Amino acid sequence: MSNTTVKQKRPALKVAKSSKTLNVSSGVFRVNKSISKTINHSFSGKSFSSEGDSRVLDKSSAQTPKHTVQVFDEHGQDVAPRPLYNPDPGVLQPKQGKIFPAQDTSSWTTMTDFPSVAFQTTNASNTGPFTRSFFGSISASRTSQTLESVTDETKDLLVKQDLSNSLSDVQARREEVQEQVREDVLDSVVDCYLTETETIWLLDIPTVSVSEDSEDAEAVKERNNAYTELCKNRLGNDKYVERSMQTFNGAPKTKEVQCDSITMVDKAVMSTIWDMYDSFCNKSDVSGNTVVSDQGNKADVPDSSSMSKLDLNPKGPEQSKSMVSISSTVSGSSAQLEKMACVLLVEEEPDHELILQSDKFKQDLAVMERVILANIFQPKLAAYRQLPVIEDPDCVRMAMGSKNSPSPFLEHLWAFECGLTMGRNVSSMTWNKKNPDLLAVGYGQLDFKDQKSGLVCCWSLKNPTWPDRIFHCESGVTALDFSACNANQLAVGMYDGTIAIYNVQAAEQTPIIDSSDCSKMHTCPVWQLRWIDHESGLAGEDKGEILISVSADGRICKWVHYKCLECVDLMTLKTPDLATNHMKWNRTISALSPGLCFDFHSNDSNIYLAGTEDGYIHKCSYSYKEEYLETYIAHKGPVYKVTWSPFCPDVFLSCSSDWTIQLWRQDLQRPVLCFTSGQKAVFDIMWSPHCATVFGSVSEGKVEIWDLRISSLDPTIVSVTCPGVNPTGLLFTSETDCVLVGDSEGKVTVYKLRNLTDGGSTQVETLEDVIQSTLSSQH
Amino acid sequence: MAEVDETMKRLQNQKGVQGIIIVNAEGIPIKSTLDNASTVQYAGNIHQLLMKARGIVRDIDPQNDLTFLRIRSKKNEVMIAPDKDYFLIVIQNPTE
Repeated sequence: MSNTTVKQKRPALKVAKSSKTLNVSSGVFRVNKSISKTINHSFSGKSFSSEGDSRVLDKSSAQTPKHTVQVFDEHGQDVAPRPLYNPDPGVLQPKQGKIFPAQDTSSWTTMTDFPSVAFQTTNASNTGPFTRSFFGSISASRTSQTLESVTDETKDLLVKQDLSNSLSDVQARREEVQEQVREDVLDSVVDCYLTETETIWLLDIPTVSVSEDSEDAEAVKERNNAYTELCKNRLGNDKYVERSMQTFNGAPKTKEVQCDSITMVDKAVMSTIWDMYDSFCNKSDVSGNTVVSDQGNKADVPDSSSMSKLDLNPKGPEQSKSMVSISSTVSGSSAQLEKMACVLLVEEEPDHELILQSDKFKQDLAVMERVILANIFQPKLAAYRQLPVIEDPDCVRMAMGSKNSPSPFLEHLWAFECGLTMGRNVSSMTWNKKNPDLLAVGYGQLDFKDQKSGLVCCWSLKNPTWPDRIFHCESGVTALDFSACNANQLAVGMYDGTIAIYNVQAAEQTPIIDSSDCSKMHTCPVWQLRWIDHESGLAGEDKGEILISVSADGRICKWVHYKCLECVDLMTLKTPDLATNHMKWNRTISALSPGLCFDFHSNDSNIYLAGTEDGYIHKCSYSYKEEYLETYIAHKGPVYKVTWSPFCPDVFLSCSSDWTIQLWRQDLQRPVLCFTSGQKAVFDIMWSPHCATVFGSVSEGKVEIWDLRISSLDPTIVSVTCPGVNPTGLLFTSETDCVLVGDSEGKVTVYKLRNLTDGGSTQVETLEDVIQSTLSSQH
Repeated sequence: MAEVDETMKRLQNQKGVQGIIIVNAEGIPIKSTLDNASTVQYAGNIHQLLMKARGIVRDIDPQNDLTFLRIRSKKNEVMIAPDKDYFLIVIQNPTE
């Protein structure tokens, strides 16, 4: 606060900061101020009214305090705010007069200049003393603020006027005016309204307290000291010069800008566990892919642009995989997106082709087919697999007249057939050794007339309507066998004597190998093929699996697969020298009787039986090719099939075109039992793998199942086929109680054996008993 | 291609098969033996179901993936074979 030109004698105002009591004093109000600078003429009383400083003020101690004002807070500490402005000492300070004489605002107007003097808005330092003087006991802290608001309202801040003289005049006039006014309105009751305006903060730097113990305390103290020094030195210091500036307020101008409406798009991403896993796994691949896609992008986008110009020429660019990947990457410009959209449209067509031709699609189709068929054939398959057949509750089943007869019968389950096999004769059937659901069926005419190309179909139980594998052969297929060691190898014997080995894993039409190059190949139809496992090993050679074939040229050959199939004769089926009623056969004319079938002994793979067209059954040894071990003569016609019993090691069965089935015991020259049920040739027989006393036979027009426990004279089950259709092959299933019958129309029908007495055990003893009893009854 | 056509023809001729639809990865039917309206309905709805089903399977174990989906209803059964690029839908009524 300046020390000069304070003529007033006023008591030092001790204003408690917190108190708001008004000290009423009517003193002369002095303006302790230099006026040369900023006097606000235009200032009217509005600011005062806004302050709500009513006439109370004039009664209040609107005293210009002495230059030293001390403010004490509750604790008696001197918290006097330091003046922000120290006017130049050389400048005349105007006499402070009554600045707030009047109660009305109107009176203020006359004193516009005076109040304005008080409010040198540019110099904020004025606010200190003056506000106190004006607003009396109103708390000092508020005054500065109120002054601010007051100054805000002033319009014209830069008024340079030498008010020193005018002020004094003004002051005099003011006093008069004031006195007049007072007398006038003394009696009237005046309402005072005290309101507080809101605080307008212009600058607020809160104090930062630093603890004395902190490290910065010293630095802070230093700074504080420096500051106090500075303040002290400011007065006369050349470094600090008062300057005022006025900012030009530019004329406002409205400018309108319109922008495209911002469309808001909601985007959501669900982060799922698999999404994160995929991103993590693909992270390493992404770098590779992005490179490709970028190159593809560069390469293809110009193509697409040219394409769009060409109006979506469908012949467009070639299908490129990168386009698909590009379509998934985010492109920047919309133009690019359009191009891609164009490209995508064109790419639709090739995309479909790609999908339809893909391997995965074929696989899926196959699976779907199986699923559909599983739905259709479910009850049948359940019956086949000896599972309980559960009725579909939703379906409406017609009450079929189910055969609930107690007698055994063959229940028709389904038939393996398709358009491809229609009309062909089923010549042989065999199960896969490894996968009991896989069935290989060979189709070929058995007669020498109407020979057509042969067919081998691998059927799966899961799809009875279409074979899984189809192999076309040049000539009719007459024999089939799956290898046990390499379960995917299927040996096929054909009518022209060729033996081929197919790999059923692949769908290739060409066999792995065939015997057409072999010099010693069969020249006549191969009637039976067998893979024999020589585990016992004979003197170091022939270990492992060997293919044995019998053919109508009278040879039983062993085939070895080295680089090509090589054939070694195991036996030549010479007609035995029967010096009975016939003349001596001239041995020099080697007449080989055609071999029709053979069967190796299950236990001893050294011994095998061979049936010939002469009706003889020869027991041969694997290692001895000169002579038969034994010959069984009973049949009067070609022996079509000979099989050892799977349960009784000595017993075997043979069937022939002489309408008979003979049961032999290997030590007896004569058959033990002879089965006849009709006057038709018996084409095929097979022992049941489950029961020692059961075997099946196939003859012209009939399928018969014999059970020796029940009867040895008649077959237990006789199933008559449709007229014109002859069953040609019989196959028992090893796992279930079903039997397959192949017929001359290309169908392989699956039957379930129903009501066949199941003794529990394999009934070996029963068979032996039967044989025994028969033998004993014969003698 | 002929093989695929043949297989599809066989499928179509199986007992009770009402329709076969092949849908690409975006849910747009490529090939169908049903009328357009049904095709679009099936394709759209099953696409969503498939996404959900696949999500379920992979959420539990991300290395697992959905291989087949069957929906048995009162009147028929819908069988879906999904893949990365397409899915194959067959509608069958096996008890016809």
